[in-house]
Amino acid sequence: MARVRAQAVSVAGVLAPGARGDVAAPGAVERARDLAGRLPRIVLEARRVAASVAGVHGRRRAGVGENFWQFRPYVPGESAARIDWRRSGRDGRLHVRQREWEAAQTVWLWVNLSSSMGFRSSLAMDSKAGRALTLGLGLAGALAEAGERVGLLGAGQTSGGSTALERLAGACALQLRETGADQPDLPPEVAVARAAAIVLVSDFLNPPQMLAARIRALAHQGARGHLALIADPVEETFPFSGQVMLETMDGAARLRIGDASGWGEGYRAALARHRAELAEIAARWGWSLTLHRTDRPASEAALRLLSLMGAPVTSRADDLRARGSGA
Amino acid sequence: MIGWFAGLSFAAPLTLLALAALPAIWLLLRVTPPAPRHLVFPPLKLFAHLQPRRETPARTPWWLTALRLLLAACVILAVAGPVWNPRAGDDAAGQASAPLALVIDSGAASAHDWARRIDLASRLAQAAGRAGAPIALFATAEAPTPQAPETAAAISRRLGALAPQAFAPDRLAWRDHIRAWLQAHPGARVAWISDGVELAGKPASRQFASDLTDASGGRLIIYGDAPAAALALAGVVNGADGLEARIIRPAGAALGPAQGVARALDMRGLPLGEGAFSLASGEVETQARINLPIEMRNRAARIDIVGQQTAQAVTLLDRRNQRRRVGLVTGVTADLAQPLLSPTWYVDRALAPTAEIREPRMGASAAIGALIDEQASVIILADVGGLEPAMRQRLEAWVRAGGVLVRFAGPRLAAAAGPDGGSAAGDGAHDPRDRLLPVRLRGDGRSLGGALSWETPKTLAPFNREGPFAGIDAPAEITVRRQLLAEPDGDLPGRTWASLADGTPVVTARRDGEGLLVLFHVTADPSWSSLPMSGAFVQMLQRIVAMAPDTTTLERPAGENAGQNAGQNAEEAGEDAPALARPAALPPRRILDGFGLWRDPPATARGVAADFAGRASLAHPAGFYGPVAAGRAVNVLETGDALAAIDFSGFEARSLSARTARELRDPLLLLALGLFLADCLATLLLGGGLWRRRLGKTAALTALALAAGLWTAASPGPARAQGMLNTPQYQLPDSWRPPGQPPAPTPRARPPAPKPPSPPRTAVNGFTARDLDAAMETRLAYVITGDAQVDAVSRAGLIGLGEALAQRTSFEPAEPAGVNPSTDELAFYPVLYWPVVAGRPAPDAAALRKLDSYMKGGGLVIFDTRDAMTARPGVTTPEGAQLQRMLRTLDLPALEPAPQDHVLGKAFYLLDNFPGRYSRGQTWVEALPRRANGERVPARGGDGVTPVIITSNDWAAAWAVDASGLPMLPLTTDGHDSEERQRELALRVGVNVVIHALTGNYKADQVHLPALLRRLGQ
Repeated sequence: MARVRAQAVSVAGVLAPGARGDVAAPGAVERARDLAGRLPRIVLEARRVAASVAGVHGRRRAGVGENFWQFRPYVPGESAARIDWRRSGRDGRLHVRQREWEAAQTVWLWVNLSSSMGFRSSLAMDSKAGRALTLGLGLAGALAEAGERVGLLGAGQTSGGSTALERLAGACALQLRETGADQPDLPPEVAVARAAAIVLVSDFLNPPQMLAARIRALAHQGARGHLALIADPVEETFPFSGQVMLETMDGAARLRIGDASGWGEGYRAALARHRAELAEIAARWGWSLTLHRTDRPASEAALRLLSLMGAPVTSRADDLRARGSGA
Repeated sequence: MIGWFAGLSFAAPLTLLALAALPAIWLLLRVTPPAPRHLVFPPLKLFAHLQPRRETPARTPWWLTALRLLLAACVILAVAGPVWNPRAGDDAAGQASAPLALVIDSGAASAHDWARRIDLASRLAQAAGRAGAPIALFATAEAPTPQAPETAAAISRRLGALAPQAFAPDRLAWRDHIRAWLQAHPGARVAWISDGVELAGKPASRQFASDLTDASGGRLIIYGDAPAAALALAGVVNGADGLEARIIRPAGAALGPAQGVARALDMRGLPLGEGAFSLASGEVETQARINLPIEMRNRAARIDIVGQQTAQAVTLLDRRNQRRRVGLVTGVTADLAQPLLSPTWYVDRALAPTAEIREPRMGASAAIGALIDEQASVIILADVGGLEPAMRQRLEAWVRAGGVLVRFAGPRLAAAAGPDGGSAAGDGAHDPRDRLLPVRLRGDGRSLGGALSWETPKTLAPFNREGPFAGIDAPAEITVRRQLLAEPDGDLPGRTWASLADGTPVVTARRDGEGLLVLFHVTADPSWSSLPMSGAFVQMLQRIVAMAPDTTTLERPAGENAGQNAGQNAEEAGEDAPALARPAALPPRRILDGFGLWRDPPATARGVAADFAGRASLAHPAGFYGPVAAGRAVNVLETGDALAAIDFSGFEARSLSARTARELRDPLLLLALGLFLADCLATLLLGGGLWRRRLGKTAALTALALAAGLWTAASPGPARAQGMLNTPQYQLPDSWRPPGQPPAPTPRARPPAPKPPSPPRTAVNGFTARDLDAAMETRLAYVITGDAQVDAVSRAGLIGLGEALAQRTSFEPAEPAGVNPSTDELAFYPVLYWPVVAGRPAPDAAALRKLDSYMKGGGLVIFDTRDAMTARPGVTTPEGAQLQRMLRTLDLPALEPAPQDHVLGKAFYLLDNFPGRYSRGQTWVEALPRRANGERVPARGGDGVTPVIITSNDWAAAWAVDASGLPMLPLTTDGHDSEERQRELALRVGVNVVIHALTGNYKADQVHLPALLRRLGQ
């Protein structure tokens, strides 16, 4: 049996890894202060992630930007004003000059910092919350560098440029300080602009129907989204056996299990079902789902997410059409 | 199986019914699982509805259940009071509660299996104690005393302290005490744990056994095995070419083949040699020969059998087994300038390696008297003719008492022994047949092969096989040119030990009383024959000397006869006689215990007479008695002793390994305790509590601390070392100085000061660890003023200065020390930095005394008033006033501002002034002697180190560095130098001061170097 130690790390513990779960839960203000202390490191790590994935996020699509993208042959029926005469004069055929699609996209980021995200087992490199922040901020940094505007979902403000990452981190800290550590484990119901992108970083240990309702609300506003599921390796495999007493991070639920290995089989099956439901929810709205385990480097997930975000938009209608044709 | 259980019984058998409850316990244990591990698992909030499907492993693991059942069974069994083999010890007299007389042989023969005997006795005593019977212990090798009944616990304690003794026990001496005890306790039974051995020919043990049987009414059980494995040494002979040890075994026992090694050790226990022996089955006696040169043999003090841990297998050797004292007397006035012509030269050279030679330088008769007084066992007369009648009588008595008299022929003997010689001696009473000669001699003897003779020199005939010289090779090159001839008579062939090829005797001998008369018919020098120059001569003399008796046996006859003597010698001898006649008691020196190991003499050991002979006993245990040179060894067995196994036929005798009752309760309880601990550990492991809970960590830490504490308590090393620091052996003399300091300076140019009282004794006598620490490494010191800030700056300053010194010079000071001058010893520090703080109490008298002796002893004190910033001409700063108050009672030399050419400015760097934090202050040093007229030298110094430097520049503040090595305080420059430059100069000042303190006026002397070199060159 793999000897695994699961540490009870609260959200405060995310940010102060020395703290153990059996320390009396510190007050919200104290936890927020812990976050403030831990954030600079996370920001640094996020910067590293952002740097490692820099350049991946380009549109490579024709658009209304200012940068040259490509020449393409003129199609009869197009406005003649779009013909690039200089190019067309070179070989006698008509060419249209296309510019890169460069409309600044707004990306809303939400990181789940609820108590369950504070978990970290001995197999993991970081707690889930720490990893989620690293991933989210790194992603935001990379996007901002590429000219997008990023903001915290629900915070209302977006920022761009090289300072966006720090601002986002500051907003995170502010949010934590205002609301304490009792963060919700579901994304807020807010209005987002049409064609905005939403990145939800969470462990998604929510009832699927509640999550589906939130995602539906966001998707209905026209937003495209990406789910990054952060999971601890212990949560994935449940490598325990014998008699155990399980409890959640906040101690709200307890379960005494006589045979942990037997329970683990059921758990893994249930987890697989839950994942499948998540995938179904994401696919329903054309959103992507990325699974990231905390024993893997954050840049892996960041790379995948960036690639996904750069992919051509499949609108819900297209998606439905594709489904319909497929069906 | 049944037979196996037959040996087990229970004191409370009903308790065993509780075993029936074990199945119930089993059921209970099965359903009571161990505590679960606690795991934090966030997904639980989503999957709490997943109920466990089966619970099987939640039960206690089978092995844990088995462990607990075993634990319960152990407790139940232990409470039932099991006794193994209960009847074995009790059926001695058919009743366990009868009083028990425990007789145990504790002599040397018991030692080889002593542990078994004590074990058996303890078990017997415990069995009797369980029945509540009174017990008495009779150890036969202890002093016989009446015994009182005791409890089993007391008997066990006594048995634990009982040790075998190095002698054969006198059991009969205990008979009356045992009998009295048995009469006082009717119905008592006797258990005799016998060593089973007695001296052959003295079968007293059966008598002892039958006495015990009678006294106890037949309730006697004898425990004893024939000690087949026990070997003993009975006599060691210092033979012709080796030590011959006689190894014996008790006859009558079942004896298998045995072999072993006998070993010779010297007085210090170093092995000299060894010899193997082997005993065939049934053989009771053998010899082990330890081949050693005679010199080594004489050093042997102890022979033992390797691997036999008993005093029986040890034979101690004393002077009786060692070399003899040989006296040499010659009638010839020896010419010491030509020793090769001395008649005793060859005898001396032949015997010196193996015997103790005494050669008194006096007249022949006086010399003989002195030798008899010295208890020589062999007296060699080389060509001695007539003797004083009194001395002749004394010598004859000495020979009859056992002395060996060896005479060599020569002109004088020929003259004295001849038919006319007797009357020539002028002694009317002289028997023509000299009683000190083995044979009657004829006249002048004969010459063979002389210039005027036809005959050739004769050679020796081979030695007689039966004679004492048998086996010695008679070399053909020995020639005899002249000899004294014996009167041929019937006794002559029997008295001839060696003869010439023509049959005429060369060596004759005769027994006289206990002693021996030997005559060499040739001279002891090579003038008559070449015999003294041959190797055979050495061997012949050694054989003769080996026949001599122990010296001490000759004392009494010599003393008795001394009384009849006339003349000076006789008078002296007469006075000595009573002292010699009364054998002095030799106190026990080193005694063997029963195991053959050395021990201190016990209280029961008495001194032995000087002529003691016999076996070891209670009063005289085996060991050495008396002084080393003339002591006496007492052994358990005498030469020629034989051992026999005691015949126990007719008595109830059992083997030592007979089964006795053994209580099983304590082992069972111990087992239960161990199981309980294992159960606790298993529970913790299963519950994961050992790792998860901080409690577990705390417990582990506690256990570690406990273990460490136990370990520390068990090994008092460090504590002892700490204690040793205060032992007087580390006291140092008052005049002692640290090596870094120059020797005490010669008197300085100053008015003679009153001799200050010596520094307080407490500081000198009570050297502390701190003092030792200070003495181990040279370090700078500062005075702790009590002002925390000033002290911190002083310390930091000296650290900074120390770093500079280590970088720039070969002096690497250790961490600076803060000292309190009134309590700490100052002698260890070459430099003492004393920042003056205003408002502090002046140092007390003790501190001033110490300071005074420190400065007079070559120390250097820097008083730093640190007031250069505030000082104004004509105004005394508070620090200055404080310094004046401090120094008022101190005997300071005259001071002057440090002159330009003072060695302080030259000691390492060339310095013009002495800045510190400030640069304006004046620096004062001891006034140098006036410069000689016209002398121009670049550096001047006093006779030693200036004892005091007074500055106001706050040097330490300039030197001070913080933890990262950066300057601690800013400096106040006077505008000439930058701050860095001034700090560098301040450091140079410090370096110079320290180097000056360490090297004295060395640099000042260096100025004479060119002149010296020039002078040397010429």
